[in-house]
Amino acid sequence: MMKVLVTVKEVAEVEEDFVLDGTRIDDRFLEYDLNEWDDYAIETAVQLAEAGDDVEVVSATIGPERCEETIRMALAKGVDRGIRVWDDTLASVDLLDVNAKTEIFNAIIAEEEPDLILTGVQAHDDSFGATGVSVADAAGYEWAAVVNALDLDADAGVAHVRRELEGGVEELTDVELPAVLTIQTGINEPRYASLRGIRMAQRKEIAQQTLDDLGLDEGAVESQITLTDMYEPESESDVELFEGDADAAAASLASVLREKGVGAQ
Amino acid sequence: MDFELSPEHRMIRDTVQDFCEEEIKPIAQEVESEHRFPKEVFDQLGKLDMMGVPVSEEYGGLGGDQLMYALVTEELGRVSGGIGLSYAAHVSLGSKPIESFGTEEQKERWLTPLAQGDGMGAWALTEPGSGSDASDMDTTAVKDGDEWVLNGTKQFITNANVADSVLVKAVTDPNAGYDGISTFIIDPQNDDGFAVTTVWDKMGLNCSPTCEIALDDVRVPADRLLGEAGEGWTQTMKTLEGGRISIAALSTGLAQGAYEAAHQYAQEREQFGKPISKFDAIRDKLVDMYRKTERARLLTHNAAWRYDNGKPVTKASALAKLDASEASREVAEDAVQVLGGYGYTEDFAPQRFYRDAKLMEIGEGTSEIQHLIIGRQLGL
Repeated sequence: MMKVLVTVKEVAEVEEDFVLDGTRIDDRFLEYDLNEWDDYAIETAVQLAEAGDDVEVVSATIGPERCEETIRMALAKGVDRGIRVWDDTLASVDLLDVNAKTEIFNAIIAEEEPDLILTGVQAHDDSFGATGVSVADAAGYEWAAVVNALDLDADAGVAHVRRELEGGVEELTDVELPAVLTIQTGINEPRYASLRGIRMAQRKEIAQQTLDDLGLDEGAVESQITLTDMYEPESESDVELFEGDADAAAASLASVLREKGVGAQ
Repeated sequence: MDFELSPEHRMIRDTVQDFCEEEIKPIAQEVESEHRFPKEVFDQLGKLDMMGVPVSEEYGGLGGDQLMYALVTEELGRVSGGIGLSYAAHVSLGSKPIESFGTEEQKERWLTPLAQGDGMGAWALTEPGSGSDASDMDTTAVKDGDEWVLNGTKQFITNANVADSVLVKAVTDPNAGYDGISTFIIDPQNDDGFAVTTVWDKMGLNCSPTCEIALDDVRVPADRLLGEAGEGWTQTMKTLEGGRISIAALSTGLAQGAYEAAHQYAQEREQFGKPISKFDAIRDKLVDMYRKTERARLLTHNAAWRYDNGKPVTKASALAKLDASEASREVAEDAVQVLGGYGYTEDFAPQRFYRDAKLMEIGEGTSEIQHLIIGRQLGL
C-alpha cells in the first residue's frame, strides 16, 4: 500500500473590481478558493491512486473552518480523507511563516508516514515558495522542486521527474522515496469534480487537529519574520509615439534605443 | 426559515458554474450560429453526472433533489439557453416520467441510459393542431393483438432528432376525453415508421433541436405503454408541474447571464467622460434587472423547495414559471439596451439571451396558460 499526502491551502483571491483602502482590501472583494498549484498536486495524487492498486490519498491543510469547503472539493475529486489543523493559537497568528508550516506538516508526516508528499510550488497569496522543500528537509525526505512531469515507479521506490528550471531549462532526475515533490502548474489538467464525487465527499472525513493534538505548542508558530510595512509601489509608464514614414520612425526609434543604452558596448 | 444553500448544493452549483464558464460559454454563440446540437457538451455533462440529477441512484441518476436540479439548470441557462433547454427537456420531460410511472423493466431499459448520460430523452405532446389545448390531440394508438400501432404528427419536439427515446402521447380511447390518452415509449433509432420531418429554424435556441415528427404505423410491443392506458393526461399534468420549475430555473439563468453582461459592460463603457453605470438611467435599469432576477430565483427556489418537501406545488411552479420567464425576457431586452448598438450584434451575448428568453413565455405552457392555472388555484 502506498500513501500520498497532499498539502493544500485555501487562498484569498481578489475580485476583478476592487477598491484599495490604504493598503487593505476589504473582505467583500475577496473570494476564497483552492490555491491554483495545489489543484495540480491533487490531480497528480488522484491519478496515482487511479493507476495504482492500493493508494491512499490524504490531504492536509492549515486553516479555519471556512476552508472545509475547499478541502471537500479535493475529497470530491478523489482524495480519500482530509486533515485540517486549526486552533485559537493559530487564529491569533498574523503571519504563519515557512518554519511554522514546516513544524505542523512535519508533525502530520510523523503520524501519517506517507511515501510521497505533493505540494504546490507556491501559494499565490504569500508566495514564499519554500514550504515543500523545507518540509522535506525537516522530515528527512528526498525532494524535487518545480516538477512538471512525473513517472512514478512505486515498486522500485523511485520517482522519475522533470523539473522546470530558470530560462526554459529542464532537468530530468530520479528521486528516491519517501520524497516531497513540489508540483508546477501544467503538469496535468485538473479535473472537474463529478457531482457524484461532490455528494460522496459530504460523507468523507475531515479530521480537525489542534497544535496540541500534534504535540506542538505556541513556540512552533512564533515567527522571526514580522511585517514591517506595506505600501503601494509607484508605477510609471512612458509612451513615445513615432510619427512620419518608416525611415523617419526607424531613425527616431534608433535614437531612443541608443539613449536607453540598447546595443551599447 | 433558511435561505442559505447547503454546502453540498453550493459546491455543486459552483462546480457546474466553473464548467459552464470554461467549457460552454466560449462556444455558446458559435453553436447557436451554426444551429448545431453540441453532442460533445452533453457527453461531458454525462461524465460529470449532470444528466440525471433528480433521478434516483438506483437508475444511474445522482439522487439529488429538485432544488439541486434547478441550480444546475440555472447555471446552464446563464451561459446557453439552448443547451439549458435540451438539458431540461431531457431530464424533466424525457427521463422523470419514466421514473415516476414506469415499470421496473422500463426504468432499467429506458431510464438508466438517460440518467447515466448515454442517451438523450424527449417527449412529444404538442401537435400541429393542439398546443395550449393539449388534450385535443389527433395522434392515435390502436391495439393490434399484443402490439400498439401509433399514427399522427407531433410538433415542436425538443431533442427528437438526437433522442434515444421519445415519450409520445396518443389517444387510445377516443370516447374517454382526458381519460383516453396514454403515453408510449418510442425508440426513434429502431422503431419503423418514426420520422423527423422538420428541424425548425427558430428565433433563438437554435443549438437545441426542435422537430416535427411523423408517426406512420409505428408498431410497438405492449411493454412500451408507460403506466396504464388512459393515464397519459394525469401523467402530463404531474410532469409539467416539475417541468415548469426547470423552465423557471432556466429563465432565471438567462436573466442572470443577461444581467451580468450588462453589469460588466456598463462599468467599462464610458460616455460623456464617465462609465455609463454612473448615469441614473443606466444604474436604475441595472438595479431593476437585478431585482427581477432575484425575484425569479426566489420564486423558483420556493417552488423547488415545496416540490422536495411534498407540498402542493401547482400554484408555486406556475407562478415561478410565469414570473421567471417574463423576467428573463425583460432583463435580456434591457441588457440589449444597455449595450446599445453592440447589444444588437452577435459579438455580445445579450441579443442571444433576448432571443432565447422569448420561448420561455411559450414553452411548457404559455404565460396565458400559467395565468389560467394560477387563477384556478386562487379560486377565480
